[in-house]
Parts: sequence; C-alpha cells; structure tokens
Amino acid sequence: MSKLLEFKNFSMGFKEDDGTIFNLLYNVSFSIEEGQALGIVGESGCGKSMTSLSVMGLLPRTAVIQGGRILYKGEDLVSKSAKQKEDIRGKDIAMIFQEPMTSLNPVLTISFQIGEVLRRHRPGLTVREIRQAVIKQLDLVGIPSPEKRLNEYPHQFSGGMRQRVMIAMATICHPALLIADEPTTALDVTIQSQVLDLIARMEATGSLMLITHNLGVVAEVCDQVVVMYAGTVVERGGMADIFDHPSHPYTKGLMAAIPTLRSGKGELYTIPGTVPLSINFLKGCRFADRCAFCLEGCQDKVPPLKQLAPNHFVQCWLDFEGRE
Amino acid sequence: MSEIILEVKALTKHFDVSNGLFRKKGKVRAVEQVSFDVYQSETLGIVGESGSGKSTLGRLILRLLSPTAGSVVYKGMDILKQSSQEFRAIRSELQMVFQDPYASLNPRIKIGDAISEPMLANKKVANVKEARAKTLELLELVGLRTEMFQRFPHEFSGGQRQRISIARALALEPKILVCDEAVSALDVSVQAQILNLFNQLKRQLDLTYIFISHDLAVVKYISDRILVMYLGEVMEIAPTEQLFAKTYHPYTEALISSIPEPSTKGKKQRIILQGDIPSALNPPSGCKFNTRCFKKMEICNTIHPEILELEPGHFVRCHLYSKGGVDLG
Amino acid sequence: MGNYIIRRILKGLLTIFVSATIAFFIIRLMPADPVTLLIDPKMGPEVKQEMMHQFGLDKSIGEQYVIFIQQGLTGNLGISFKTREPVMDVLMQKLPWTLLLLSIVVTLMLAIGIPIGMLAAKKRNSWFDKFISVFIVMGISIFIPFLSFALLYIFSYRLGLLPSGGAYTPPPGHGIAYIINVGKHAILPALTLFVGNVATIILYTRNSMNEVLKEDYIRTAFSKGWNEKYVVRTHALKNAMIPTITVSGLIIGSMVGGAVMTETVYGWPGVGRLIFDSVSALDFPVLQGAFIILAVAVVTVNIVTDLVVAWLDPRIKLGG
Repeated sequence: MSKLLEFKNFSMGFKEDDGTIFNLLYNVSFSIEEGQALGIVGESGCGKSMTSLSVMGLLPRTAVIQGGRILYKGEDLVSKSAKQKEDIRGKDIAMIFQEPMTSLNPVLTISFQIGEVLRRHRPGLTVREIRQAVIKQLDLVGIPSPEKRLNEYPHQFSGGMRQRVMIAMATICHPALLIADEPTTALDVTIQSQVLDLIARMEATGSLMLITHNLGVVAEVCDQVVVMYAGTVVERGGMADIFDHPSHPYTKGLMAAIPTLRSGKGELYTIPGTVPLSINFLKGCRFADRCAFCLEGCQDKVPPLKQLAPNHFVQCWLDFEGRE
Repeated sequence: MSEIILEVKALTKHFDVSNGLFRKKGKVRAVEQVSFDVYQSETLGIVGESGSGKSTLGRLILRLLSPTAGSVVYKGMDILKQSSQEFRAIRSELQMVFQDPYASLNPRIKIGDAISEPMLANKKVANVKEARAKTLELLELVGLRTEMFQRFPHEFSGGQRQRISIARALALEPKILVCDEAVSALDVSVQAQILNLFNQLKRQLDLTYIFISHDLAVVKYISDRILVMYLGEVMEIAPTEQLFAKTYHPYTEALISSIPEPSTKGKKQRIILQGDIPSALNPPSGCKFNTRCFKKMEICNTIHPEILELEPGHFVRCHLYSKGGVDLG
Repeated sequence: MGNYIIRRILKGLLTIFVSATIAFFIIRLMPADPVTLLIDPKMGPEVKQEMMHQFGLDKSIGEQYVIFIQQGLTGNLGISFKTREPVMDVLMQKLPWTLLLLSIVVTLMLAIGIPIGMLAAKKRNSWFDKFISVFIVMGISIFIPFLSFALLYIFSYRLGLLPSGGAYTPPPGHGIAYIINVGKHAILPALTLFVGNVATIILYTRNSMNEVLKEDYIRTAFSKGWNEKYVVRTHALKNAMIPTITVSGLIIGSMVGGAVMTETVYGWPGVGRLIFDSVSALDFPVLQGAFIILAVAVVTVNIVTDLVVAWLDPRIKLGG
C-alpha cells in the first residue's frame, strides 16, 4: 500500500509580537497509508491540533514553518501555492472540527453550507443536482427527513446532528483523507458512539486521521497510533504495538493514569507535574522533567529514534532490550 | 452499612421558560421526583448526559436553587424548608467543587484570601492570623506549596486551580462535598492526580462525596454506589460492582457499552442508541427513555414506570421488571 | 415573523407614548413662566384671561395633560407661543431640511465607512490599521462646534469657497440652480456630521469583522477550499454587519433632532436649530413637539433596524 500522507521531520512554531519564535512541533514524522485510520493522541499543548491544521494549510497568522515536509501523494503540501492548497481542501483532504456548536455559520442554511463544497469543487453541477446530492448525503449521515430540513439553520439542530452535518459536508466529495479533530469530545457519550460509528463507516474506503486525547476512542476506531507530547512524536506504531507494548515512559504513564471500566480501585498512576508551555520546552527530551526514568543528559540532548519492531518506533534515550 | 447522612425525597425542579412579552410559558422539567439516600463516608456517583438534571440536582441539594417540590433531610431536618438563619448554621457542612477551574476562582483575589474568606465570614476562626495558619495547612493538604498563597489564580495551571477550589471547599470543614464535573475540564494525567487526591482526602477527613459526572469510567473508579439519571429522573441505583456485573436498565447498558475501552482485546458489540436526547421542555410520555430504548414494550409509551428495589440496594425504574420483580432482561 | 413585527410595533408605540408624556412634564419643569411670554403687560385683565383660556393655561396640569394626549392623537401638537402657528406646521417646515442633511450624511458614512472598516480588519495590525485607529479616536472625540468653526473659518472665511450659513443664498432659484445652491450650503454641515459618524461606523465594522473572522465557522469555510475574498463576502459579512446596522439605526434616529450644534452653527433651518431657537424663546409647545418628533423618529428607525437584523440573523425571529 502506498503512503497517502507523510510527515517528514516537520517543525513549526509561533512568532511573538517582538519577532521571537517559539517552537511547537519539532521533527514530527509519521505516515498514513491508503485506507488506514491513524489516531494522534496526546494532551493539551502537545501540538496535535496544529499537526492537523498544518496538513490543511490552515495555520494561524502567527505560525511559522521551521522545516520539514508534509507529503500528500508524494507532493509537498507546504510548498504548494495558495490556489493549489485551496483546490485540495474540501475535495482531497477534508476536516471536521471539535465544536459542532460554533463550527457552522449561524446565518446560512445547512443546505447552502453543504452545497457550497460541491459548488467549489464540482462547478459543472446544476442547482438541482446539488440539491439532490445534499439530500442524499444528509440521509447517509442519518438525518431524518432531510428534504424538510434543507432550509433550516444550524441552531435548529442538536449538537450530535450538527456534527453529522459537518461530516456530511466533509465527505460529500469523497476525500482521500478525512481529518477529525476531537470530533466527539463536546458530545454526550451515547451520541459519541453514534458519531464515531458514522465516521468509521463514512471513511471505510478512505483514510482517517483522528485526533483525540481519549485512548479509548483510538482503540475503537484506529489501526495506527501516534503519541505526541509537547510538540514531539514520542512513540508510534500499530494498535497492538502501542496498547500491548507501550514503551515510552509517557505512553506508559498515560495508559496507567486513565480509569477504565477494567481498572480496580487502587490508586491511579500519575505523571507528576504538568504539561509545559511552549516557552518552557526543554532543549533535549521535552518529557525529561516529568519522567520517572530520566537519565543524565536526557534534558539536554534530543533523544534518537529507535525501532522496536517493524512498525513500532520510540524517541527515547532509554534502552529497550527486547519487548516486555 | 453505615448510617444515612442525607435523604433526598421526591426532589423536583421545574424552570419556567417564556419567550418574550406575549408568549406562553413552557416548563423545563429539569429534575423530577428524585429520591435517594446518601450514606456516611461513601462516594455516591451521579452519572448522566446533558438534560439529565444531574447538575441541577447537585445545586438543589446544596440549596443553591430553590426546589419546586420535595425535601432534603440532613441531621433530621429538611434543609430546604429552614429559614436562612437556621440554614446558615449548617451551610458550612455542605460544600461544592465546581467544574471549571478557570471560572470558579475570582481572578482578582489572591488564592490565600480566597481560601481564608469563607473561614472568616462564617466565624470558623477567631482572627486573620488563625485563618492564615489554617489556609497554609489546607494548601499543604491539597498538595500545593504554601508560598503560593500570595499568588493569583491565573498564575496556576488548571489542575492546580482545581486543587485551590478543593482547598476552599474544605475551608469550612464540610461533612458532605458535592463535586460537579470536578475533573472533566482537566487533562488525563492531571485528572488522575485530582482523583487520587479526592480519595486521600476522604480517608483523612472522613468526608462523604456526591460525585457528579458524565464520565462513567471516572465515576466507576471513584464511587461506592452509582445513580444513573436520564431526563431528570432516576433510572437505576446500585453499588458500583453490581451495576456493572448485573445491569438492569437498558439505558445503563447503553451507557456502559458506549464507553470506548483503550485496549486491543477485541472490539465489543456496541449498543448504539437511535435518535437524540429529547428536550426537557417536552419529554416523552410514559417512560422517558422509550423513544430510544432498544428493549421497548407497548406499555412503555403510555405508563410511567415506578422505581422498584429489585435486590437490596439495587433500584430500577423500568417496565421490564415491574411485574413484581420478575427479571425479563 | 409576522408575530415578531406586530410585537415590535406595539412596543414602539408604547415607547412613543411614554416619551410624549415625559416631554410634556419636563417642559413644564422649566424655570420660566409661559404666561409672561404670552401676556403683553399692556393688555387688560379680561384679555389676559381670554389668552390663558385659549392656551389652556388656566386648567390644572392633569387636565392639560389629558387635553394634550387627546389633541396629540389627532395630530394637533398645539400652537407655538412665538409665532402662533400650529406646531405641526412649524415642524413640517423644518423636518425636510434635517432629513436632507441626514440622508447625505448617512449615505456617505455607510458608503465610505463600511469599506474602510473592512479593509482595516483585513489588514489587521498593519500601519493602515494603526492609522485608522488614531483617526477613529479623533473622529469620535472631536468637539463639533470646534470642527464647524474650524471648517467655516478655512473654507468660508479664508478661502471663500463655500457659503457661511443657511440652506441657500436667497433668492433660492429653481431647478438645477436651486439644487446647486442648496448643495453648496450643505457641504460643510454634512462634513461636520460625517466626521464623527464615519469614525463610529469604521470602528464598529472593523471590530465586528475582526471578531467574526476569529469564529470557528470561518475556519470551516476555509477548510472547504474557498479563498479569503469569498469567505469574507459570503460567510463573514452578514454576521459582521449586525452591530454596524444597529449602531447606524441609533445614529440616524438621534440625528433627527440631535444635530443641534451643527445646525445652529451653520444656520441650517432644521429641527435641531428649531430646538435651539425654541429654548431661547421659551416656546414650550414647539419644544414639546420637537421631542415627540424625535421620539417617533428614533422608534421608527429602531423598528426598521431590528427588522433588518432579524432578517439577517435567523436566530432572532425563530427564537434560537
């Protein structure tokens, strides 16, 4: 299978008013194959949202790209022109965001907002054809009586329904890659299952990049996992690699800290300290000051990439003799 | 089993909703006939989604809202019917920790003062010096460095602010602490720290918790008993282990099933409910869950089920079991 | 929507009624005795009595109020103490001049203010934006009499380009000549009012646009592959215009009787100048009438503004 999307040593940061640049993403590398579902997991400040926005070319004004490439079907997205990026967005790569309550324009009807994607990328279609396509898409995502709801506005839909509208919008052109940034975090738990199920179904043929802080969600939907911390990829691999053989101290800590339906009542393992702000990132391993296994020199030198298995990589100074 | 410290009886809260000057009023039935007991030194988890009324319930118990009907009996008296003066005497024993660590602390007050303020206001301490000493003790208790008492909230992280909120809630030496989504806004690693802190404090200070959350995994971890709410009503109450070992109510089943498990041990068959959570302005007739229930029967559309005790300590509101406790599930 | 309009109009009528009542009582609190104005000291007592009776001043204040309301409902706003003309006629003479000035100012301020505001939002934090910020502050805080005198001094006195007052230089002339005559006289007062108001419009437009551009749905629009021009035009504009339209409504409403200083300095024969003259002359009925007209204007404009905003924002009429 060929690589659909590949991050190669990608780094970016933010520029302050006075010109200083604070780095966020450092040397991020991973790839998504065609038809694969990749989960990017991490806590706040780890840069997972910025990673997804980098693919879409929707970084904020103050963002500065500091190096590396993002290859889509072999071509570097970063060096494309604005027009080329606009042609890709919505058609080949589409995105759904976290907040369904605010991600839709309150003064435009939902049929307008969904039909817009077709108007942009399939200019040959007639008004009638667009309307039919929108109805079909709404039906696919599970909105009851779609013809009646075409001229309604976002505020007339519930949170779960709005997220379905977002999914309809994002998938109407059958993108090769669907990026979902915390798509269910703002939703109720029973609605969450509905939406996750829908996303998995809609992306059955394409690739999915799912960003979340919830390891459980990753386990449900994804094949591959990338664990990020403070802008760096600390570990990546297949589901079995990460969940059965977590190797990086952060990954292990994260797994142990989450109460699951299977955990006992014993004290939860905690990772001491808090996630650092980008102005406080360490020079070497950014997790060093919270790491229970921190060695001398971890803080000053960037840890090397180590391969533990054909599809399992860790960025760490520790020795991993065989697998546990 | 320890003794009952708090009794909630048929607690009801309706909010009137009007639309402009000349429109008819509607009623949001936020909490409807909720009854349960809270035992000394336990953690009772209350779990539900939006519209379940769990946050409203928390506020009613603490008399932060006035009820439409019902009573909350603490130390033998209905605290909802007491005069403000009578209630003030025991107000300090019932405290709350809120969800948003960024909004619940006044940004202009130093955290040391924020913690001392309630002590002085309620005359729990004789003077400022004593208040200061107790404040520093509390800061240490919640795991913060005591030098921090001069700092302002914005200088702390989310997890630290939540610790400050807990310290403030403990300032009045409460017996019962209501935690309303107290860890929901925190990062996973910080959440674990705060949950451990809650357990530790409970043991040290012999507290009783009412822990409200939408996150069933967190509630399972921290609670001794769990109460499941849907659209303002109690659907099931059971000791934690039992709720999961023998789930009676279909809604509880669906809730448990929808929690994504971070493991590779086979993807389970998930129960996916149809439709949205109905509006509390216009709840379904009969059993409120009937519009989404996958085990629905004819009777569920029309008759509202009563709550029954199927096993000691295990209560369910469902027609599947209403024929004298026969288990048809 | 129909329901909404009806309720809005009813509220408006209530506001007018309350304003008229307040106008009535406030006028009578003024420290001057209308009787002395009307009565010529040389008149005999029976004539005085007659005059008082004619103007209804011999009745109690409660009775006067009732008569006031009764007359008001039929469009009779009383008689001017100064000119003895019906107040309604006086107002109807002056109102068109104010409306003319108003139309010129409003058209200009929207046509120029909105695009500049949008440009400043687009070029956020650039030198252009910073320059605009300074201009806004100056425009809003400038003292109108100072500005009018300064303009008069420069353009009328020194350069002799524009006339120094009035709506036209007599004789008024007809047709094109008349229009040009009035036009030349309108330039300076319009400019005076324009400066402060365009600053307000730019401020609201720029800030509103900046806020809207930060919203999540704008990011969604970009993610569909549209360019900035389209996103601003189709997604941002409608939302951003709402505060601007609301404030324009307020500006228009208040300019009907509120351009007192400008109209007075330039001798423009509108409602503002009428108010000024009536205060000096203690002509209560005219003042009363002017306030009522002002209330009607403000209420009407506000209703229109609210309806426009409700049309733009579907959440309002549908109670979202």
